[in-house]
Amino acid sequence: MLVLKNWDTNLRSREKKTLWSFLFLYAFLVLISLFFVAFLYYDLQRELFLQHQKEALSNLTNEQINRLRTLHVNFDKERLYPRDERFNSAIYDSGLHEIFSTLRSQNVNLYDDIYIKEHKIYFIKELESYYLGARYIALEVPEPAHWDKKIYRTLFLYGGIIFALTVLIGYFLLKLLLRPMRDAISLLDRFIKDTTHELNTPVNTILSNIEMIDPKQLDPSLLKKINRITIASKTISNLYDDLTYLILSHRLSSHDETVDLKLLLEERLEYFSLLCESKKIRVGACLEANVVMSIDRKKITKLLDNILSNAVKYNNIGGTIDVELHDKLIRISDSGRGMDASKTKHAFERYVRFDRSVGGFGIGLSIVAAIAKEYGLSVDIESKRDEGTKVSISW
Amino acid sequence: MVKAVGLFFICVAWAFGSESVYERHCVPCHKDMPVKIDKFFYRYLLKYSSETEVKRAMTHYLKNPTKETSILTDGLINRFGVKKKTMLSDVALSEALDTYWETYKVFNKLK
Repeated sequence: MLVLKNWDTNLRSREKKTLWSFLFLYAFLVLISLFFVAFLYYDLQRELFLQHQKEALSNLTNEQINRLRTLHVNFDKERLYPRDERFNSAIYDSGLHEIFSTLRSQNVNLYDDIYIKEHKIYFIKELESYYLGARYIALEVPEPAHWDKKIYRTLFLYGGIIFALTVLIGYFLLKLLLRPMRDAISLLDRFIKDTTHELNTPVNTILSNIEMIDPKQLDPSLLKKINRITIASKTISNLYDDLTYLILSHRLSSHDETVDLKLLLEERLEYFSLLCESKKIRVGACLEANVVMSIDRKKITKLLDNILSNAVKYNNIGGTIDVELHDKLIRISDSGRGMDASKTKHAFERYVRFDRSVGGFGIGLSIVAAIAKEYGLSVDIESKRDEGTKVSISW
Repeated sequence: MVKAVGLFFICVAWAFGSESVYERHCVPCHKDMPVKIDKFFYRYLLKYSSETEVKRAMTHYLKNPTKETSILTDGLINRFGVKKKTMLSDVALSEALDTYWETYKVFNKLK
């Protein structure tokens, strides 16, 4: 686990995005299920509540029916509809026409025996004898205040507990599913670390010995071979630098200094000149003088090297590289194979490679992004398939 | 004198002419009965509820009165018997029942 901590094997942004998307979707589905169950539970509780109310309302209805019977018998003398302060009522004939009503609501569902509407309970009963022609009687009583408060409290309490538990289970399930991927990344990091250690000494030996050879004493054929060895060694050296940065970036302290970018770019172009010559790439440079930046020299060198290395690596034989330096802008354009515009936003992610026809680990631009982030530089990539790539660094 | 007699006959004719079928053919017979006509209405209402059902039941009974279709109690039927079949036309009977309904209906009479 120490390796995992030291080697920055946190999930990359896409994995994190996947994690959050999954959790959001999972939580959403859990919520829908919980709402459905809660709805059924609430409906059941409401039915139970209404069943309890039914008996009391039935007694009140019988009282009212008795009053209607008296009125029916004495209708030639009495015309006052019986009223009760405990409820409102209405009577309807068999054609569902309202005979008389003291209800607040005009629309009563006579096909339901008991229901709640607008904070009122309605109870419907069919008369055995149609006093005053009334076949149906409807009673309206106020809904008892907060009768469902306990139901809501139960629902929120248990719903919340179940929701939290299911989300927690979902989180651990996802971590379990992601473990193989995390292990693979960890393995790759560990492999890079081990490889890097083994690269350092032989590469330095090759490069220092090549530098000791005087090219003037070599015949052209041998010089050509030595140049090839130099290019190959520098490629390995660059790779070694990248891997070292990747592994040790969190331990490296920055030593910022004022760097003359024109001089630095000229130096780096010279460094890559042999590589460019090998692919017959024409390099054009338009570098303004006196453009400086306060930055760690090694880091800005690494940033430029990675961009230039890509410009060479993904260029065509006989292609071009144009390097521009203006105030607060470095632009490196190549006439290489480019990439789809939709993929450029993922280009900075570690181990992401869109072209596997050339070597590499897919770490160069992630190092560029890390350095740019550290110094607040803006790196913009414009690319078109088969037309080339343009990388702009502004600050 | 001739004018006075003519005027008398015109008044009598007008007076009879303004009476409805219900008043001419129903009320006179029921007037002398111990059970008033409104009680019949409320018995029908108690059994049939709506205007349509009440009128249909009354029409059916009046056209074909039997002991079984009568709403009177057995005691009253034994005492007064079943009435005779109506001689009114369908239109006249319908008109009479409309008046009967309008006279004793409960709608718009409760306070």
